[in-house]
Amino acid sequence: MPAMVSAAQPVQRSFNPYTENGGTILAIAGADFSVIAGDTRQSEGYSIQTRYAPKVFRLTDKAVLAVNGFAADGNMFVKKVRQRLEWYRHAHAKDMPIRAIARLIQTMLYARRFFPFYVYNILGGIEEDGTGAVYSFDLLIYFKNQTPAPGTAFPKHLPLSTVLPLVIDSFTSATERHIEVGDGLEIYIVLSKGSTALQSLQTIRGIQELTATNDGERVFVIRRELKKD
Amino acid sequence: MFLTRSEYDRGVNTFSPEGRLFQVEYAIEAIKLGSTTVGIRTPEGVVLAVEKRVQSPLLESNSIEKIMEIDTHLGCAMSGLTADARTMIDHARVTAQNHAFTYDERIKVESVTQAVCDLALRFGESVHDEEAMMSRPFGVALLIAGIDELGPQLYHTDPSGTFVRYDAKAIGSGSEAAQSELQDKWHRQMTLREAQLLTLNVLKQVMEEKLDQHNVQLAQVTPKGFEILDEASLKEVIEAM
Amino acid sequence: MNSFVERYSATSAVGQLRKAQRLTEEEEEFSDAAWGSQAGFGNIMNGPPSFTVPNVRDPAAFLRLHTDDHADPNCRIKIQHGTTTLAFRFQGGVIVAVDSRATAGSYIASGTVKKVIEINPYLLGTMAGGAADCQYWETYLGMHCRLHELRNRERISVSAASKYLSNLVYSYKGMGLSMGTMICGWDKTGPAVFYVDSDGTRLKGDLFSVGSGSTLAYGVLDQGYRWDLTDEEAQELGRRSIYAAGHRDAFSGNTCNLYHIKQDGWTFIGNYDIAKMHYDGPGDVPGAPGGGYGYDVRLAAANSTEVAAA
Repeated sequence: MPAMVSAAQPVQRSFNPYTENGGTILAIAGADFSVIAGDTRQSEGYSIQTRYAPKVFRLTDKAVLAVNGFAADGNMFVKKVRQRLEWYRHAHAKDMPIRAIARLIQTMLYARRFFPFYVYNILGGIEEDGTGAVYSFDLLIYFKNQTPAPGTAFPKHLPLSTVLPLVIDSFTSATERHIEVGDGLEIYIVLSKGSTALQSLQTIRGIQELTATNDGERVFVIRRELKKD
Repeated sequence: MFLTRSEYDRGVNTFSPEGRLFQVEYAIEAIKLGSTTVGIRTPEGVVLAVEKRVQSPLLESNSIEKIMEIDTHLGCAMSGLTADARTMIDHARVTAQNHAFTYDERIKVESVTQAVCDLALRFGESVHDEEAMMSRPFGVALLIAGIDELGPQLYHTDPSGTFVRYDAKAIGSGSEAAQSELQDKWHRQMTLREAQLLTLNVLKQVMEEKLDQHNVQLAQVTPKGFEILDEASLKEVIEAM
Repeated sequence: MNSFVERYSATSAVGQLRKAQRLTEEEEEFSDAAWGSQAGFGNIMNGPPSFTVPNVRDPAAFLRLHTDDHADPNCRIKIQHGTTTLAFRFQGGVIVAVDSRATAGSYIASGTVKKVIEINPYLLGTMAGGAADCQYWETYLGMHCRLHELRNRERISVSAASKYLSNLVYSYKGMGLSMGTMICGWDKTGPAVFYVDSDGTRLKGDLFSVGSGSTLAYGVLDQGYRWDLTDEEAQELGRRSIYAAGHRDAFSGNTCNLYHIKQDGWTFIGNYDIAKMHYDGPGDVPGAPGGGYGYDVRLAAANSTEVAAA
């Protein structure tokens, strides 16, 4: 848009269906677990629209999706993904594996190539072989989480007892200095079948289990307060 | 006999007063004119075998194609009006590729069978603006063999769009004799080799001509994938019979 | 003028997309393909997948307004640009080498992008321009190559595959697709490399490089290229050219992925850290001279003068 528009000149209006609602999401994959977290503040510019708008959603017992960007698009997108998962379950009599969800999300994002969803997604969960996985998406496609190059140990898999404090500290410090981050924190934890990390979860304050099936994978959520100023 | 069926066998989508769709039943009859096709499921994989009717010594027998690949993990054998099967198999292939494109995984055997059967019912008058695809039911039955996370499976589909899973199934002109033979001989722990031999033995019993590597076709789906046996390996199996 | 033509032309890309949209609009959410055994994607028997188009007078301009980062660095949607990819034909097959950096403006969005798309076991595509466009359409191409193979009982030629892709992206011309890709493989005619881009260009050739670092890669490539390179020499040339681009082009870098296509399909040769190649070289790989490509060479002269002075 031209910066200076005098009253005499015609004003060009354009269709702008996008806005930015702030916030932060992150995901970390471990050897046999995955952690997906997001704050719950939703803002536009300098005003806070709500202090509790979830950005992280359980899709299945093996997959959790975090959505950031334009909240309206994000919520609609999650709704559509869930609808497709349901259809898939009816058609193929099984829950969609995380790899399939990642590809599905790519095709759904690309179907809006000419009218993109303004959403940045991170998908975390457990692969069919029981390993932790993270997929990140830009507006249109996905990139699989880094796998170690042959002969190297990078990226190192951190234990859950290191990851959880790391996540909480990251959000606390982001809240301290970023105006769009704060209010509440939701941390989803997906454990693979027989994960040894289960023990260390038992003692955590206010942890809540969300597991819906008996397949062996388990989903938990931890909610924490963040500063509200 | 046909007089008693009066007018109700004309329309493809008109039920008779007894509740029958005659055109669909006639289509199922058409399969009984087809060449015999046999499929056997084993824990190691699925075997498919068909009889090729070589009507003339001048006919190139390798141009008769009655077993086709749907995808690496899926194969299909047919009996009846084989030209109809091309449409169905192309649909199955497209469905399998679409699935791989959308979900980055192999389609399940049951799902691809379901897709073929959905197509089998799209005959008759068109619904509002949608174009009618076919004026009559397909005149072909398929044996769909494949491997997925549930292991080796064998499905049978018929023109009514019904599909059922079998351990061993015979279709086509010699199917009655062949099916009872399969019932006698099939057992749960069959090896792939035993299944190959059994399919050929069953075909041998129902075929008019002497069975050789030119008038049968043998294929298998194993964890390595779909494969039509070439003439040399087919000959080797026949000699071992 | 362009928008005027598009508005009244029945055959423009925009017009066609609009028409497709009108046809699918009502059914989009609940089409047959989404139910039953297909449970998902549009039926490709009806042509390429359908896309949602914003209901504005000029959808392409809408998209440009929100995505073009040259005109407006603050626009919300950033599409990744900047890359170095190369592929060349020689007596031993085809070498494909790419870097792994993805940038959005001046931000390095990722250093581990796979810019070689494995279409199938004997066809490779490279990725330059919009990562999504390349990845999506080349995967889509892979599906059609497989169907071609099933229907015709033989593998698709590299020429046919590249033509298919070229025609596909040409049908979206003017809609803002951005891709510059090399389709590489081995067919009945031997090794083959085709350059295809979203403008509709399709070129057959021995040697191509695409992306912001292509000029730097060409410099090394042209200097060292011969038809009768050995396999090891050719792999080294690919590696060395990507290193040169990664070293001098800010939008390229991180690592180099190297592939070699022979008669029986492609093999992944390796992943090489570009910074490491500068100081220590690619490691103990066939064809490498040993030692870093940049560091030692530069210091050698300085060291020798020091020695001489001493």
